[in-house]
Amino acid sequence: MSTRLAFVTVCLGLLVAGAVPVQAHHSFSATYDGNKPITLRGTVSKLGWSNPHAHIYIDVKGPNGKTVTWEIESAGASNLLRAGIRKEDFVGTEVIVKGFLAKDGTPAANASSFTLVETKKEYVSEEKTTP
Amino acid sequence: MKRVAIILGLGLTLSVHDGALAQARPDFSGTWRFNQGKSSPGIAGNTPNIPFPSQLVIKQSPTELYVASTSVRQAPLTATYKLDGSKVTVDAPRGISETGEARFDGETVVITTRRSFSSPAGETVVDFKETWSLTGTILTIEKTRIEGGESTTEQAVYDKV
Repeated sequence: MSTRLAFVTVCLGLLVAGAVPVQAHHSFSATYDGNKPITLRGTVSKLGWSNPHAHIYIDVKGPNGKTVTWEIESAGASNLLRAGIRKEDFVGTEVIVKGFLAKDGTPAANASSFTLVETKKEYVSEEKTTP
Repeated sequence: MKRVAIILGLGLTLSVHDGALAQARPDFSGTWRFNQGKSSPGIAGNTPNIPFPSQLVIKQSPTELYVASTSVRQAPLTATYKLDGSKVTVDAPRGISETGEARFDGETVVITTRRSFSSPAGETVVDFKETWSLTGTILTIEKTRIEGGESTTEQAVYDKV
């Protein structure tokens, strides 16, 4: 009886774990293509204000005139806050993102830097500013 | 007879001069490993402003420069540049087209490449300009990335293995 209960508990645990989205701190090279640098210009439509990575969604107008929403992974929310970026100031602003394209071909990139067009202020990953 | 001797003399002088020039060029041949501590901070960490390979294998002859660039868990790129500056095709990973030219400028080598690939943003074209210089067993590469009207320059240092 206790064995069956333990088995059911483990199965339930695995199901729950699988259902919860996990913000993993993953390797750059596993997800992004270091041979495909890309520069995007668009308007921030949504923010995933999280750690260890923040996710910035920007609407970018493509060459065919269609707008595509890109998911940009950046340094975590804590790092962005330390850099002086507040969530409230961000949505609706125009940004230029420099980064690397996702390997899976989706409109996703990893940002090495992004610049707020209006203020021309450029933000980079904290790793680079730390001596 | 005197005219023939003068022409022969001039020809000999020019060929010796060419040989001396070829010898004066620094030789970049070798295996070179990226030194993060000596490189500019903009290329440190997971998301560099400009991609630099972690290792370079270079074979130089008087007329050609073979370059194999490798990075951890990234597909390698190889090219055999003609040192007369003529355009060659870079052997790039699938989905990437790249051409480039190389030439000596004094004691430095200047390599310009154009990389293109498709993305959800359409056809993406990125231009790179690299200037290589050699100081003993230290190779310094200054690289500029130009794309979409934006340009960034960073510097990487490599140690000879």
